[in-house]
Amino acid sequence: MAKKILRINMTNLKATYEDVPEKWARWAGRGLTSAITCDEVDPMCHPLGPNNKIVIAPGWVSGSPAAPSSGRTSFGGKSPLTGGIKESNAGGLSSQMIAKLGLAAIILEGTPAKGKWYTLVVTKDGVKFEDAADLMGKGMYEVDELLWKKYPKTAVIGIGQAGEMKLSNAGISVNDPENRPGRYAGRGGMGAVMGARGIKAMIIDDKGGPGVEIANQDLFKEGRKKLTEAIQEHGLTKKGGGLNAFGTAVLVNILNEAGGLPTRNFSAGQFEGAAKISGEAMAEACEKRGGEGTMGHGCHPGCIIKCSNIYPDESGKAIASCVEDETTWALGANCGIDQLDFIAQMTRECNDIGLDTIEAGNTIAIAMEGGLLPFGDAEGALKTFDEIRKGTPLGRILGQGVAATAKAFGVSRVPVVKGQSMPAYEPRAVKGIGVTYATTPMAAYHPAGYTIGPEIAGVSGKLDPLSNEGKAELSLTFQAATAFIDSTGYCLFIAFPILDIAKGWAGMAESVAGVTGLNITGDDVVPIGKEILKMERLFNEKAGFTAEDDRPPEFMREESLPPHNVKWTITDAQLDSVYAWVHNGK
Amino acid sequence: MIKVNISLYGSLARFGGGKHVAQMDVELPDGSGKADLLRQIGIPEEERGYLFLNAMLCEVPGLSTGANEPLKDGDHIGVFSVDRLYPYQYRDGLPMSDGLKAALKKHGAMHHSYK
Repeated sequence: MAKKILRINMTNLKATYEDVPEKWARWAGRGLTSAITCDEVDPMCHPLGPNNKIVIAPGWVSGSPAAPSSGRTSFGGKSPLTGGIKESNAGGLSSQMIAKLGLAAIILEGTPAKGKWYTLVVTKDGVKFEDAADLMGKGMYEVDELLWKKYPKTAVIGIGQAGEMKLSNAGISVNDPENRPGRYAGRGGMGAVMGARGIKAMIIDDKGGPGVEIANQDLFKEGRKKLTEAIQEHGLTKKGGGLNAFGTAVLVNILNEAGGLPTRNFSAGQFEGAAKISGEAMAEACEKRGGEGTMGHGCHPGCIIKCSNIYPDESGKAIASCVEDETTWALGANCGIDQLDFIAQMTRECNDIGLDTIEAGNTIAIAMEGGLLPFGDAEGALKTFDEIRKGTPLGRILGQGVAATAKAFGVSRVPVVKGQSMPAYEPRAVKGIGVTYATTPMAAYHPAGYTIGPEIAGVSGKLDPLSNEGKAELSLTFQAATAFIDSTGYCLFIAFPILDIAKGWAGMAESVAGVTGLNITGDDVVPIGKEILKMERLFNEKAGFTAEDDRPPEFMREESLPPHNVKWTITDAQLDSVYAWVHNGK
Repeated sequence: MIKVNISLYGSLARFGGGKHVAQMDVELPDGSGKADLLRQIGIPEEERGYLFLNAMLCEVPGLSTGANEPLKDGDHIGVFSVDRLYPYQYRDGLPMSDGLKAALKKHGAMHHSYK
């Protein structure tokens, strides 16, 4: 059975199933959310106004039998944080269930009557619009719990109080296999766009759904085998490997030793308390405290990497899942906080209220620099979340993220590109990543480009690790590969093995070809990724973005970053060369 | 004598009395180099991965340079076990020692899979 587009109109509360038009037929995941956003959303619309939409799409392989680590759901539309196009994806239960209902995408559009909020219940039989009055004002822990009482073992997509208030740092939560909130489409404020549609939560129930058709079983199985082997062989992604044993925060110590861990609002590249907030420290806490605490937790069924964790308190009771690398860095090092228990409690607050942890931590760092509280004040930092939850004037400022908070507190060291704050890797020290931060259509965003294994992606021989030469082309190549991976439904962490082990790269492409019947090989990954980037880039141009928006924040050119005492050195011409092909065709 | 500070990560932490991370000060005779320090602690060559000296990348798995360059009082060394990968995108353009630069010129572009 051919996949359908489910269009849900919140103005008249009607749901319709449409055939997938030819122009969208080859896309899934990020490719599809961006294609639909480009076709249906006016780039000049207000992100919270009636003309923005949310497009939800599983990837090409989502829901297919045992495709490894393929539980990502893409959420797309126009971002209230950046003013540009956004695709933010999350793990959790939703991707596979949407796919098994036979849906290529769900489009949420329109606005209900003032003051009305709904829970949408999506099943094989259609969509029910339930009054969400009893869920309003509640955080996602309670929402997930209440909804599972009524709809057990379903995927719950929802927004916390931040999304209800339409704050620019509101994310969209997806529940994990144990029904905890915390798998977030966090970046870009897409939770506010969901709030603007009057949707508090969505239930996805795939029971009795048609499942996912496999066009070419042999090719799919061959591709899946190669990809699985690559994941299981690679030091970062194999069982007991870096991600499995220590979580994504396995990177904290190495970035710190390298002088590339942004500290105290990007004023230094090393944090003296880094080891205490690292993945290694989390693993030790889990081992010592036991109980519910564990590393190696899977965020969705079928994950074979299992990089998530459940961080416990002293009695072994879970505080939060998951304390990610960027989370422990943003709420820790960048705020001068070295107490992991507080970082975990703040993570829980983010997961409950519905906030992106990167933007939330960076915002507290800005408030610290602005004098609201001192750097290192863990208790004070934790209390700021009460302000956001209650929607006090201060809370509403903090909930708008870094750029708005910097204005409110008169701070000029503002680590944002296109309105979105930077993740845990200092671009003055790790220069390659700065090109990606500056130029990706997704705004300062690290997964937008994985700069790894150049010979596999076909830029071999052009890379000198010691100079700035070739960084523009390399960044583009990896931004394109990432756009492709974001369309597959696979977790982006497959990037480590596939960009390092040739059969993994081929296996990813073959598994996509096997499921979809599309004629895709490893050679098509970068060109297809570039098609997605081009769509996104053109949307942003129509939304008013120019070359000046592809620039690092001014302070990075002015201030030297200790300990290396380096400034930003990539030239504007190099940055402009990354996307020159969009218009000159090369 | 000089005193240097060393952080050991991953399985190397056992040489400093830790499970996954260990930090300690070590006293060495004047003129001692990295090799002397690592020998004194007892870290086998084959278990060593990325190594930083005062935030400068000095060694990557399989490429060891500057073994006998004298350390200074107050230096900090961070050593990761060989199974600790450091993906390319997080180190592309990172400052590194002259010795490692020269070794990489000869060896070719950095890659996180050396086997």
